[in-house]
Amino acid sequence: MSLRGVASYWLVAAFLLLAAVPFLPSKSAPIYATQFTSVLCLAVLALGLNVIVGYAGLLHLGIAAFFGIGAYTAGVLSTTAFPFGASFLVLLVAAPLAAAAVGVVTTAPTLRLRGDYLALVTLGFGIIITRLIVNFDPITDGTKGLTPVSPNLFPGVDDPELPKYGPGWNNTWRKYPYMYFLCLGVLALVVIGLRNLERSRLGRAWVALREDELAASCMGLNPARLKLSAIALGAALAGLAGALYAVAQDGTTEPKAYDFNRSMITICCVILGGLGNRPGVLLGVVLLVGYDQILTPLLDNWIQQQKLNPEGKEYLKVSGWRLFIFGVALILMMRFRPEGLLPEARHKRELHPEETGQPAVGGEQKGASSG
Amino acid sequence: MAVLTVRKLTMRFGGITAVNGVDLSIEKGQIFSVIGPNGAGKTTVFNAVTGIYEPTEGEVLFQDEPLQRRFGPKVLAGAVAVGLLAGLLVALFAVNAGGLWKRAIRDQEAARQEAISDAIIKASETNPGRGLEELKKEAAAAHPFSWRAALSGAADHIGERSSRATVCFILGALIGFAGTLVTWRRSRRAPDVITSGGIARTFQNIRLFQSMTVLENVLVGLTRGIKGNPVLAALGLGAQKRTEKDAETKAAELLAFVGLAGKHNLIAKNLPYGDQRRLEIARALATNPTLLLLDEPAAGMNPSETVELMGLIRRIRDRGVTVMLIEHHMNLVMGISDRIAVLNFGQKIAEGTPGDIASDPKVIEAYLGSEEVS
Repeated sequence: MSLRGVASYWLVAAFLLLAAVPFLPSKSAPIYATQFTSVLCLAVLALGLNVIVGYAGLLHLGIAAFFGIGAYTAGVLSTTAFPFGASFLVLLVAAPLAAAAVGVVTTAPTLRLRGDYLALVTLGFGIIITRLIVNFDPITDGTKGLTPVSPNLFPGVDDPELPKYGPGWNNTWRKYPYMYFLCLGVLALVVIGLRNLERSRLGRAWVALREDELAASCMGLNPARLKLSAIALGAALAGLAGALYAVAQDGTTEPKAYDFNRSMITICCVILGGLGNRPGVLLGVVLLVGYDQILTPLLDNWIQQQKLNPEGKEYLKVSGWRLFIFGVALILMMRFRPEGLLPEARHKRELHPEETGQPAVGGEQKGASSG
Repeated sequence: MAVLTVRKLTMRFGGITAVNGVDLSIEKGQIFSVIGPNGAGKTTVFNAVTGIYEPTEGEVLFQDEPLQRRFGPKVLAGAVAVGLLAGLLVALFAVNAGGLWKRAIRDQEAARQEAISDAIIKASETNPGRGLEELKKEAAAAHPFSWRAALSGAADHIGERSSRATVCFILGALIGFAGTLVTWRRSRRAPDVITSGGIARTFQNIRLFQSMTVLENVLVGLTRGIKGNPVLAALGLGAQKRTEKDAETKAAELLAFVGLAGKHNLIAKNLPYGDQRRLEIARALATNPTLLLLDEPAAGMNPSETVELMGLIRRIRDRGVTVMLIEHHMNLVMGISDRIAVLNFGQKIAEGTPGDIASDPKVIEAYLGSEEVS
């Protein structure tokens, strides 16, 4: 069985496990229910970034901006301060469209930039959008954020069973934590869609573009169109993640959730897990975000329960060491396994030329270059 | 009919004239070689033909027409759309979009909420027995959001700043419109346009997609020939599977044609040098060209591989593809060319059949020194 086949079995198993989590008789899981849901949203975000960075090879440092645009589109369309009252299904369409439109419009003028220069522009773009969110008070409610974001599931159906307030597994719909399952379902659909796309001509064209733009254009591929389509899809997924996040958190929360740090963490997830590889990216999200939002508080709780740290000293808490551990882990990763935990075969080849053998260097005629 | 006509092609890079007034005409079904000492400008001619460089002077005609994107209503509509969008965005910022939103939506909604709560209070006073939820619903239905009021509020807001808005809109629209046209003009002769028009090429310093497999390399070349909507592909709908299968069959046929059958799943960069050259040819053929440009296809090949390559080039010609090639291997050039052009210092010094060229005193002097052609 191929490695790819094994990875996809693992993926299916992981999804089944995640679907079973709410039914487990556990005391601590419900406490972290909100975090579980937000991990799923961030997984969609990371998969979106993976389209841009992993498939098409465009280093984008402002993905959180699209996340924010998606979240605020959802917020504006469904919060009670505005008269739109859109339903969840509408948000699922509107938020990705808005993010993709902004992505295309802002990327089109920068198409000629490559590598580091593009990265710098996207970095600036991310910062501008965060500032815009903070300062566009009449629409975004500034630092407070839009709240509540509790849409109905379907347009025109006011479901009395649907809880409108409070995130987490407490907001059950007919006894099920519906937001968690909605996010899980959307994530599964995204994973399947990306899998199909990877194997289509568009997926191949993106990889060709990443490997050699000039050669790709000499194959009749339009680099501008390919880059724009990658950005559009990546931004759309990020916007979708944003909408899910806003609904799951019952509000857009503070604008800090969409700043540079979010972009960086997301790109770390993608690189740590394995650039260009869906299971790898998901693993990266589970490890990094899970460590950050679930494992650290869990361990802190445990330390407190065992009375290991009666005086509450900072250096005896896991959260005190959180960023240190994170940094060390990243450094070790980059030293020993730069291609990520579950690398895509092609990226691995790009980073480890010595293992697969160099191309045979040509004879002396190779030096005989012509004008 | 001439497949490719190059007229008075001149390429200057700063002060250096790499190609100076070169005329070439390649007939259908020919194998046409361009030779010349190092730095004579051969690859520059190729780059100008394939759209990697824009000719400084002169023109390149493919089947008697310039190969470039056509200007049509679609381009114009695109430019107008971008212009309108840019104008709208600039104008929105000029009239203070936040204020506009506040006046049109937020204030209206706040007033409505107030009216609703007033109505609830009133109703509960007159009719104390009813539940709050019911009253809320009733009041909300009695006070719907007035989109007309919102629109008129927005119109007033913009009207108060109409001159500013107009100027900014026109400026933004002009910049957007002109910028789109300029960008479009710059990409008129982009390599992808040339390739889809029917000219394919290989590179002197092999440019395969190195970490893709042999088959995938050819499939990338076939991309233009594969139909299918990416959205449908993502959903797993449409004829995706069948078209992919067809493409793979076609790719396998091309690989067998160049002699790479059975190596489909090898990684491109692990192939021996000669195979890489052949794969590049297969990938170029996958774009279904009328004219194939080969830039030093025999570089780095041993004599027996070179002989095989000669056979391959002849077979490509027999498929109906015109071949233009740059080469230093004189055996190969003299053996298969129908016509040869000789470049030296960016100028064409001779053109003719292999026999003419071999005996041309100018060629012998300029290119080969006093030695006989080997």
